[in-house]
Amino acid sequence: MSGTVVLALRFLTALALYGFLGWVLVFLYREIQRQGSILVNRRIPGISLMVRAPGGKGTMRYFNQAEITIGRDPGCDIPLADDTASARHAHLTYHHNQWWLEDLNSTNGTRLNTLKITTPTVITSGDEIQCGGSDLSVSLSENVVIEPTQRLGKRDQHKPNE
Amino acid sequence: MNSQVQSRLLKWAAFFLFLQSMILTLAPAVRERSWDVDYRLSHWIGFLVWALFTYLTHRSLVKFLPDHDPYIFPAAALLSGWGLLTIWRLDESFGARQTVWLAISMTALMLAVRYLKELTFLKNYKYIFLTGGLLITALTLVFGSNPLGVGPRLWLGLGGVYFQPSEPLKILLVIYLAAYLSDRVNIRLSSIPLLIPTLVVTGLALLLLLVQRDLGTASIFIFIFTIFLFIATGKRRILIATGAFLLAALLIGYFLVDIIHVRVVGWLNPWDDPTGNSYQIIQSLLAVANGATLGRGLGIGSPLLVPVAISDFIFSAIAEETGLIGTLGLISLIWLILARGLITALRAPGNFRRYLAAGVVTYLGVQSLLIIGGNLRLLPLTGVTLPFVSYGGSSLLTSFFALYLLLSISNTEEEEPAPLQSLRPYTILAGIFALGFAACAVTGAWWALFRSNDLLTRTDNARRAIADRFVPRGEILDNSNLPINITAGESGDFIREYLYPDLAPITGYTHPVYGQAGLEASLDNYLRGLQGNPSSLILWNQLIYGTPPSGLDVRLSIDMELQRIADGLLGDHSGAIILMNAETGEILVMASHPTYDPNKLDEEGDLLSQDEDSPLLNRATQGLYPIGNVIQPLIQAQFGEELPSESSLLISYEEFGFFRSPQITMPVASSPLTNDLADMRVSPLQVCLAAAALSNQGVMPAPRIAIAVNTLEQGWVVLPALDEPREVIQAQAAEEAARTFVQEGKAYWSHAGRGTISKTTVTWLVAGTPPDWRGAPLALVVALEENNVPLAERIGDKLFTAILEQ
Repeated sequence: MSGTVVLALRFLTALALYGFLGWVLVFLYREIQRQGSILVNRRIPGISLMVRAPGGKGTMRYFNQAEITIGRDPGCDIPLADDTASARHAHLTYHHNQWWLEDLNSTNGTRLNTLKITTPTVITSGDEIQCGGSDLSVSLSENVVIEPTQRLGKRDQHKPNE
Repeated sequence: MNSQVQSRLLKWAAFFLFLQSMILTLAPAVRERSWDVDYRLSHWIGFLVWALFTYLTHRSLVKFLPDHDPYIFPAAALLSGWGLLTIWRLDESFGARQTVWLAISMTALMLAVRYLKELTFLKNYKYIFLTGGLLITALTLVFGSNPLGVGPRLWLGLGGVYFQPSEPLKILLVIYLAAYLSDRVNIRLSSIPLLIPTLVVTGLALLLLLVQRDLGTASIFIFIFTIFLFIATGKRRILIATGAFLLAALLIGYFLVDIIHVRVVGWLNPWDDPTGNSYQIIQSLLAVANGATLGRGLGIGSPLLVPVAISDFIFSAIAEETGLIGTLGLISLIWLILARGLITALRAPGNFRRYLAAGVVTYLGVQSLLIIGGNLRLLPLTGVTLPFVSYGGSSLLTSFFALYLLLSISNTEEEEPAPLQSLRPYTILAGIFALGFAACAVTGAWWALFRSNDLLTRTDNARRAIADRFVPRGEILDNSNLPINITAGESGDFIREYLYPDLAPITGYTHPVYGQAGLEASLDNYLRGLQGNPSSLILWNQLIYGTPPSGLDVRLSIDMELQRIADGLLGDHSGAIILMNAETGEILVMASHPTYDPNKLDEEGDLLSQDEDSPLLNRATQGLYPIGNVIQPLIQAQFGEELPSESSLLISYEEFGFFRSPQITMPVASSPLTNDLADMRVSPLQVCLAAAALSNQGVMPAPRIAIAVNTLEQGWVVLPALDEPREVIQAQAAEEAARTFVQEGKAYWSHAGRGTISKTTVTWLVAGTPPDWRGAPLALVVALEENNVPLAERIGDKLFTAILEQ
């Protein structure tokens, strides 16, 4: 009799152990879904740059990628026909919901609104960037920014709200 | 979200441990098959402490590390709770101590989570930590001791509390290597700044451990070091080089270092030395085999048969009591921690934290693999602990420190992962662990399912003897159901009692140390309930108790009244007597002297096997004596008065079955086929069967001693003879010869003779009932290991007188 009771308990423990592992699988599946929906909703807001080489006419460029390189090298996203600019002069990166300007150890330095920058710096619409003799003026698109780090505690927030 | 996941998983963990505790409480009732037992309750303290501290730790993790990985802590908590209950089950005092250590470890985790949020202090003081760790380990060389009193002295003891410095040393090495390597980007293999310090540090640690003879920790050091180099450089050739190095070290160690030699031999050929160096591993495999699929249930198996079950062999203890289902779950839990740890490493925002997490995963993974693989004979045995599960304060604290590192590193949702040079080291690391644990799972299934029966029927499986204490063994009865050997005592303390010790050489004994002998051995399957019971009943008992069902009683053909007379007549003389029903072959009397008292095996067992008089030998069936002229009546029946030639005599001997063992359910002996008739030896049973032909119209009966078994469903069921009766002499000739040997004034025929080979002399008497006998025909043989014809004749006379008076 005691044996039968304990046998039932033994089956139940197996159930509990695999209940634990089963829930792990369920939660991992939900995590994949959540991670996916975050990545799908993650949009990089476009950035428009008015680029003026010294003595040249200004050209308007639009990007929506996470990194934009600026320099004399033709391989750069914004190639500058400017002898005072370095081959890879500076770059713009998007992370933590901001566009950041960073100098890439250029010879003549990078200036933001005439101030020389030494660390990555957040930029915003209307900022003026100077690489060597070239000017770039920034205007950010008015896209809705979806917070990539927002908490999605409740079920109804899982859906993309585009 | 994270806190919900963690809380849900912890509830399931608590449910699992609650059920395990319930089973452990009820275990004595199952073992003794009664509700009236002392239930086990003390382990509930362990469960409650676990629940309380797990809850508190959960709260503080949610509060202070809101974005930590929600899978790692529940898995670690379940493992440590599982280990805790298993330790309580194995040894209550160690269980109480482990409970204290668990409370301390969880408190330390809570404090660390609250006050040490940044890990940079680890990086800054890496040299201090490492030198400290090495110094304390070095101290064990001088002041080391072992809590058990024997074995490697790896512990530092103070006031009854023991501490094993090599445990935290592993994690200190991880911290040091992570800090050192993360400071140097773009490491090349040949660069001196990389190799010199790491080699020096690792070599130093290794030296310390090889002197200490701690093989397990030494190999973990090598693995941690290798994997760190691999992760930092991304070069696969490091793995290959280390593999080659380890193989070479193993070969050199095999010939030079005794501890490695012993372990490797024990791993490759454990079956050669099951009681010596391979004792642990074979007992471990027996435990795994006994667990089979579902396990015996916590507290119902016998994992204490495995040495050091609480630490090194806790995996096999868990395997025995939760079975393959449990071990697969356990392996999955460890794998879950490692997988989440590797994800944590990949998500880490800086190289130091990334290396640290990967190092912690390596430490936990390698150590788990080494000990689980060692327990299952997948790898050579290395005495390391199973993280979170095994007994040991230093081990548990170190595991929880590793847990703190992983949880703290995983709490980085706000920061983006640092750039990764190459994914390959991480995928290869994950692949190694996945393959390793899959191999463990398959090996576990192999022992538990496919080799289970072979292992459990081994004679060194003490579980059979333990089952005998809890399951009543069938009784051995005489032909009027008078008990001869019985089971006495209460469930849990059943012992075998031998009511008529003079019969000991025939009925034998069953004993936990000395094994089994005689009929107790040959009838074991009936007496143990494995034969004669419905197979469904056997399966059911195996499932719920892990033992066979109650044994069945066996009735012998022995007639206790005549047996007592025969034993009295033989007295202190060495020899044997057999009285047989010549028609049915049933043995009514079988005496073999000198005899012994199987009730006193505990005290005398060792002496008995060395006794020069061989009291353990059943002289009636196993004693081979010079044949002499004992079968003169048979020869006369076969050949008349003239002397037969040697070759025709040989043919008759073969016909009488002197060159083959009689078919009967007890140990018998026979001499090999020989042409040298002067050297011919026979057993009293063989002579008795041949003599029976004279009293049974020339037909030799098939011998029987166990005649019936008392089954549950059909009552007494006859056990048939194993052989067929054979006509060896013509009925007419047999009758005439029998009449010739009836002596004046006697009611039976008889012939006394002697056999002598070199210095051995035996006195024979064969006798039997004449053709006009009105009861069942009988045949008698007396063999005396001395020259004493009058005694032999007196025994025959008295026995037949007793039969006539019956």
